Amino acid sequence: MKKMYSNKLVITSLVLPGLLLFVFAILAPICLSVYYSLTDYSGMGAWNMIGLENYKTLAHDEAFFTALRNSLFLAIGFICIQHPLAIIVAAVLDKKGGRGESFFRCVYFIPNVISVAVIAYLWKFIYNPNFGLLNNILKLFGFEGNINWFSPDRAIWSVLIVLIWHGFGWGMLIYYSGIKNIDPTLYEAAAIDGANQRQTFLRVTLPLMKPVIQVNVTMAVISALKQMETVYLLTNGGPGNATQFTATYLYQQAFKAFKYGYGNAISVVFIIICLLATVFLNKIFEEREPKRRVQ
Amino acid sequence: MKAKWWSAALTAAMVMGLMTGTAVTANAEEEVTLKVFSNLPDRKNGQGLVEQMIIDEYMAENPNVTIEVEALDEEAYKTKFKAYAMEGMPDVVNIWGQPSFLNEVLDAGVLAELNEADYADYKFIEGSLEGFKKDGKLYGLPRNTDVAVFYYNQKMFEDNGWSVPTTYDELLELGKTITEAGMVPVAMDGGDGWPMAVYLSDVLFKISGTDYQGIVADAVANGDFTNEACKQATQLLKDAADAGLFQVGYDSQDYGTAMNLFTNGQAAMFYMGSWEASMALNEDIPEEIRTNIRVFTMPVVEGGAASATDIAAWNGGGYGVSANSAVKEEAIKFLNYMYQPDKLSKYGWENGVGMSAQDQTDYMTGEETDLMKQIVDIVTNATNVSGTPVNDCGPSAFKTSIESEIQSVSNGTTDVDTFLANIGAACK
Repeated sequence: MKKMYSNKLVITSLVLPGLLLFVFAILAPICLSVYYSLTDYSGMGAWNMIGLENYKTLAHDEAFFTALRNSLFLAIGFICIQHPLAIIVAAVLDKKGGRGESFFRCVYFIPNVISVAVIAYLWKFIYNPNFGLLNNILKLFGFEGNINWFSPDRAIWSVLIVLIWHGFGWGMLIYYSGIKNIDPTLYEAAAIDGANQRQTFLRVTLPLMKPVIQVNVTMAVISALKQMETVYLLTNGGPGNATQFTATYLYQQAFKAFKYGYGNAISVVFIIICLLATVFLNKIFEEREPKRRVQ
Repeated sequence: MKAKWWSAALTAAMVMGLMTGTAVTANAEEEVTLKVFSNLPDRKNGQGLVEQMIIDEYMAENPNVTIEVEALDEEAYKTKFKAYAMEGMPDVVNIWGQPSFLNEVLDAGVLAELNEADYADYKFIEGSLEGFKKDGKLYGLPRNTDVAVFYYNQKMFEDNGWSVPTTYDELLELGKTITEAGMVPVAMDGGDGWPMAVYLSDVLFKISGTDYQGIVADAVANGDFTNEACKQATQLLKDAADAGLFQVGYDSQDYGTAMNLFTNGQAAMFYMGSWEASMALNEDIPEEIRTNIRVFTMPVVEGGAASATDIAAWNGGGYGVSANSAVKEEAIKFLNYMYQPDKLSKYGWENGVGMSAQDQTDYMTGEETDLMKQIVDIVTNATNVSGTPVNDCGPSAFKTSIESEIQSVSNGTTDVDTFLANIGAACK
């Protein structure tokens, strides 16, 4: 067996599929994207090399920065609203136990198994100012007038709620699995020491959930940055650019405006931002780990 | 003897082989599969039904031909069209005879040239082929003559004592009256951007009259929309939105939602193209509403150059054939079959899908819906027509920009000057 693993042919055959997949599915498209970002390619016909012109235009593109700001806003929304709620719900479900535990676990996960198109159209109808569910419920409480939930100043919040609701189940499930993996004897020890529920959660559950939180938060930030389909179907980035996100703007420029080269420039910048975000988040979580060990 | 026997056997085998080969070749030539890429996903109503009827007839008359249809709605269609342009186009495709769509497509050389002389007897309306030409060569055929109209519910108007507005100010006043009555004045598909751009074009035409095309062409060529007519037209669109002429949240609502507001009686009017005239025959719409749908065109603007009978109309959608189609001959044969005057034009008329780009007078039976007759009257009595709407007069980047920016200027997020500057920049 040991001899087999030292055989270069065997090593190559084991590494090669993964390597080829990485080269052809990730590296080559990125290289192509960099190449096209230096052209004025419309997506059809011939193209010319124009150097860094697309990047220069991008540096002054207000719509791109609006889209980037919205993406970061969504990432913050995920971190500050969705994930704290998901951790709390996961902890409550864990404590609740019994039939209710599996029932609510399923209920919270339902939005994740529904198609994005259905979700988008469902919320379009809920938010509709003229006949939507939300305004009709508000009318029951005496509110008058039709509230426009997709007005330029409210639209981003309306989209944020849908995205938080839609992605909640995944986050909650991962936290729930993390909590389930915590050794129960630690809770027993905390109880013997006289810790109440709040203290147990803050001093035992939360610190031991750190690796899970790290993975979940990184995934949330990346998913916020590459958010596309729900927003595209819900608002298509509008009204104006009020709910424009980086991925929807990239799509709009590459495939609607016939500016494929420019779209690729956006995608290259987008990849760099995603990489920086991942490195930054890893850094945050890494820095605190050694400190705790020193203590 | 043996040699003779062998020789005869070989000859027989050769003849048999040739016969078999011929049979196989003939069979291979006969079996043809045509791929049609359509922007009409509803195959049971309106234009989609007409297209499907002709496809079914063609297959019945040509049993060796199988036609496979892929139909997507307009936005998805245009995106996939581009993907097809890169990897190989289906044989027959829907196209738009407008610079915003056709310029890039023709530059990429993905459409086959058609012989204009073949269509001499197809009764195309004068000038309707122009949008599908480049350097004098024809690359597609127009399907419709589209007219921008306000559909309105006549019974609702009569019951409430409202009358059809004759001036733009009256339209805004009517809007306020309808709002006070607790209804939506005009259902507008503002989420898609292009219907509002058509509205803007309609108003601009009412202001500038026959100068419209020159003003738009100059503005697109110079990337400068800051002329007085464009400013006034944009301001009038904004005035309409500010006055509450459109439903709350119009700028984020799509085609279906806007149309539903009208067809279920929540909105008194619906601003859209004449292709929706088939609403009068659509049994999914309550009878009380569908039998009472009527139209009027954009009222005159005070001080504007256009009269009441100058209308916003154009030849937009149509069909073309892929330049690289493996069955190009059959595809052109099918295209020509579709455009035989007794097909697309006649069936379109009978199914109330609005005006064709071909002369339809032969098919008028007197049994048409009142809505259809009204649209015919509007077109017949038109003193001038606008031509292509503003958003389709420039490159794709301009179209994308204006259809997004128009939401912002109408809802007050940006001002008129910024809007005009931004759409001008998109042309450069």
